[in-house]
Amino acid sequence: MDVLKEDRVLDCSGLLCPLPVVKTSKAIKELSVGQILKMIATDPGAPPDMEAWSRQTGNELLLSTQEDGKFVFYIRRTK
Amino acid sequence: MWKTNDPDVKRILYVQTHGEKDPERTATPFFLATAAAAMDHEVAIYFTMNGPQCLAKGNGERIIIPRKGGEGKPLKYFIDQAVDMGVRLLVCQPSLDLHGYTLDDLIEGVEMIGGAAFNAIACEADAVIAF
Repeated sequence: MDVLKEDRVLDCSGLLCPLPVVKTSKAIKELSVGQILKMIATDPGAPPDMEAWSRQTGNELLLSTQEDGKFVFYIRRTK
Repeated sequence: MWKTNDPDVKRILYVQTHGEKDPERTATPFFLATAAAAMDHEVAIYFTMNGPQCLAKGNGERIIIPRKGGEGKPLKYFIDQAVDMGVRLLVCQPSLDLHGYTLDDLIEGVEMIGGAAFNAIACEADAVIAF
């Protein structure tokens, strides 16, 4: 697997829905197209939420995984 | 009434009919609208029946969302989140009259529409979700 290199990290640990989505939405708009955001969350609703958010906004969810008991997402800004 | 013409942007209209008698029913429309706005959708909430009570000045602080075994958050927390994400708040005059309100009794930024505009917005929305 290619190693993903993020341009920015957004830690949403401890935040509940809809805050991870809200903060991700704001953070991705501060990146340039093509840049990658790494988002970390502990909300168990985050994996389905980020999948839906990606599908609807068009920003690419490159990876949805778990690290150290937390949910980790790599998202590329596409537009 | 909807501002976007972009076919990729979905339009969601929430309808809130509950107010201060049902605090447990007040936060969710704001909460879901906030998430929808974060998905780059155009979002509005229409307040009718007891719904305008959610928008009366001071009620955001007064209405506490009950939470089992813990301190509930005030409704204002959810309202501010939605407004911050660009969610539009709509009311109509008859529902204000019901409570003796004028637009001045409501928090800043609330837009007045009528029944015809409401129906037009509903017909032009991709989803209408009523509470």
